[in-house]
Amino acid sequence: MAKVTRRGFIMQSSASIATIGMLAALPTLSAAPEATEAAVAELPAVTNSVTELPAVAAPLSAPLIAHVSDLATGEISLLVGTQEITYRDSELVTRLLRAVH
Amino acid sequence: MSSHREAPEISKDPVADNTDVYAFVSPDRPDTVTLIANFIPLEAPDGGPNFYEFGEDVLYEIHIDHNGDGVAEITYQFRFQVQVRNPSTFLYNTGPITSLDSPNWNRRQFYSITRVDDQGHSTTLASGLACPPCNIGPLSTPNYAELAQMAVHKLASGETVFAGQRADGFYVDLGAVFDLLDLRPFQNLHVMPRHPAPGVNGLEDVNVHSIAIQVPKTLLTQGGYNPTNPHDPRSVIGVYASASRQKALIFDGRGDMVESGPFVQVSRLGEPLINEVIIPMGRKDYWNSQDPRDDRQFVEYYQHPEVASLLPALYPGVFPHLAAYNKPRADLVAILLTGIPSGIIPGFQNFTGKTQADLLRLNLAIPPAEKPNILGLLGGDLAGFPNGRRVFDDVVTVELRAIAGLTIPLVDPHFKPDAAASVVSDFSPPQIPPGVHYKQQFPYLGLPFSGFDVPSA
Repeated sequence: MAKVTRRGFIMQSSASIATIGMLAALPTLSAAPEATEAAVAELPAVTNSVTELPAVAAPLSAPLIAHVSDLATGEISLLVGTQEITYRDSELVTRLLRAVH
Repeated sequence: MSSHREAPEISKDPVADNTDVYAFVSPDRPDTVTLIANFIPLEAPDGGPNFYEFGEDVLYEIHIDHNGDGVAEITYQFRFQVQVRNPSTFLYNTGPITSLDSPNWNRRQFYSITRVDDQGHSTTLASGLACPPCNIGPLSTPNYAELAQMAVHKLASGETVFAGQRADGFYVDLGAVFDLLDLRPFQNLHVMPRHPAPGVNGLEDVNVHSIAIQVPKTLLTQGGYNPTNPHDPRSVIGVYASASRQKALIFDGRGDMVESGPFVQVSRLGEPLINEVIIPMGRKDYWNSQDPRDDRQFVEYYQHPEVASLLPALYPGVFPHLAAYNKPRADLVAILLTGIPSGIIPGFQNFTGKTQADLLRLNLAIPPAEKPNILGLLGGDLAGFPNGRRVFDDVVTVELRAIAGLTIPLVDPHFKPDAAASVVSDFSPPQIPPGVHYKQQFPYLGLPFSGFDVPSA
């Protein structure tokens, strides 16, 4: 009997995704447009080089989704499994903003 | 409808759309209470080849508050999983389905049930429980009643559960309600009068997906109290159901999706018709996201319900006393948000304290009625709505009459209700419309309509 479930499919897919790391950045664009534009104007140029990331301490068993929840404070929500971890990284948010403009 | 497609966002997400909640002392097992939460509104019985099923990515919950704080002390969680035998066929079944493990049944659904206590401790009560198939027709599901009965599971922990398709037991003249409240057969009294016509059940011949659980009363009450005294606060429980989805959803472009993050509530329901007709359009989605304990923020809509001002405007001269009444509707706040205290209705109370919360409040010490009245408390039947809600209760007429002013004297004895307030009804006289059917035993909602038979030739 073939057991095909969407949840099972997701879990299978996640194993391979986790090995390369998946970061789906979804900037919240609710901030005032002029404020965003001003912030972007002051951003340093983004190069095409890929920053070498340190090896992940432990592989993830589920997709990792990052949601930039507050552009002004650099607040990022990391969603993994059924957890949500919130932290601030203004530098990363700045780089992400540059990448989408 | 009761809560079918009642808010803009959830109307686009049927598998998470909680349509009705029922809570009543089981008539055939009065030491137990039956809780039912329905989802997936307006299922067309012939809606194949992908017949209806619960969402694998939805967290379904039934919550019980037994101390009046608007917060659940006990929650039953239900999670579903689909198993496909053969992904190479488009067919739901390749022959008659005569058992829940029939090799002819290609797409089956199973579920787990978990009980969570007020300390957050989770106990998985069972897993791998089979749902019945949808009612396809006489060739595919030849003995549907037997199949459905196979999907009634008795758990070692004391509960009995069922999850699957049933006939929708709710009834309402939907077309009339939403056509400027042109209630049949009272059209001749409407501001745009027309010839009277009998009421039409807008939910005729449609199915729904039900999660039903029958629980010994003492598993739900505070401290395991055995409810025998109707006036003991411990006899009253508050019930609501909810559906939640994970916070993030990404379509991967390959026909699948990725979900991640904690579950957030997208649908909830306690009392019928609240988000449907009490809460205004701009706050319906927000209401669905909120917990009952915070319902004080919505009290103005109960105090000044829009329908109470529409009735005198749409039926000129029919509701003069209601039109002149401009006090906040303390009667509706009591009935719908706190419960009815002792001393108002002889032998009855379902008061849960000052916390205003949308909960279906059930006094477990009130025994089932020998001759139930579908108008519940308004019909002198203490075991009926709004003391909990039975599957057959005419909640539309009860709430319509309450909003029309019939219950104002409970809190304001000087008010004289308009004559129409005790006559207005969804169907006239109040009745269960033809074709709506129920069962005498768990899960009490009737067998689903068959896809072969509905719509009929």
